[in-house]
Amino acid sequence: MFDFTIAGVEAPIFLLILVGFTVGTVGGFIGVGGGYMVTPALIVFGFPGYMASGIDMTHIAGKGLVSTIRHRQLGNIDWTMALSMVAGTMLGVELGVRVLVYFKHIGLSSIALLITSVVVMFTLFLYTQMETRRAHKKLDELAHEGKKAGRELQTSSLPAFFQNIPLAPIVRCRTARVVVSMWVIVVVGIVTGLLAGFLGVGGGFIRVPALVYIVGSSTHIAVGTDLVEIVFSGGYGALRHSMEGHVDMMAVLFMISGAMIGAQFGSIATSYVRGPAIRYILSYSLILATCGAVLRLAYVLTGQSIELLSLFAVMLTVGEMIFLCLFIVSLVWFAVRHRNGKSVPAWVPSLVL
Amino acid sequence: MAKGLRWFIDSMLGYWILLLVISLGGAAAIYELWLKGRV
Repeated sequence: MFDFTIAGVEAPIFLLILVGFTVGTVGGFIGVGGGYMVTPALIVFGFPGYMASGIDMTHIAGKGLVSTIRHRQLGNIDWTMALSMVAGTMLGVELGVRVLVYFKHIGLSSIALLITSVVVMFTLFLYTQMETRRAHKKLDELAHEGKKAGRELQTSSLPAFFQNIPLAPIVRCRTARVVVSMWVIVVVGIVTGLLAGFLGVGGGFIRVPALVYIVGSSTHIAVGTDLVEIVFSGGYGALRHSMEGHVDMMAVLFMISGAMIGAQFGSIATSYVRGPAIRYILSYSLILATCGAVLRLAYVLTGQSIELLSLFAVMLTVGEMIFLCLFIVSLVWFAVRHRNGKSVPAWVPSLVL
Repeated sequence: MAKGLRWFIDSMLGYWILLLVISLGGAAAIYELWLKGRV
């Protein structure tokens, strides 16, 4: 246990490092900040809510930077797309925060937030899961026919629709190999920023599917490019929270010590798998986070009287981080085994490189 | 390995369930060791 004097709590150091490592791994792999997992976990560890947000944001900025550097080395960042989105994202976040303040004034912020997060995450889970299963099946068919598949296969027809919108200026995103109206990218930034600002998260779990299914980027490049946004939004959030005195730097340092290693591993792990594998992990993250949000919503709607609901929400929050990290580690392990000609489960070969 | 247990590795759904059980078990252990009384 360590006495965090600024936060005014004692908390176990091991758990902070573990949370930093697991969320760093997941974040580097699927391109999320992980705030929707970390903030509830920090509250469970005893940190006040505003401190949990501040510590989380600050650690996300640092971890995001590490992941971004690694993804840049892997060639997974499209700077045209990233910089086109930044302004839209910042505007969207500001709008989202104002919408939240409105709901706070009418006394409905907790319920509005939880219902919105359940609806958004569940919808994204359904679409991502269905599309990824189709892509996985197509990859299996290609392998059966003896044809070689590339790093990415995506079966959604949405990108073709959005790429045909003829609104000038049209930008050529060279790394992503996408030609699309800049307004599509800006609006993606505004809408995802709005949801992120309202829900109080970084927004990666919304932006990565948006970049894949609306802009038409490959999953690897969506992950790397989104992490650039997270550095900006996390950095700004860290600055604002620091100004309000919401940051305990010792807690941040413990979390970052785990996140530095996790973020590197998660980023490098993307080079072992195909796009559908990353989208599978993203969809699992969404459904588990949805279940946690449903439990918290049930707890709030029952007047916070059934403590068992709160306990299950806690276990799901911590369990989700461990589950996603274990799945990513096993995908890399299976990929290495497959490269060395060793046996792997039948569902693995089409997902790994 | 018994056929039933093999399903937890050979099937993607089975592997998902296996990892989830391990993870929730880990979360329960973490709760018992460090978080009980704080929640």
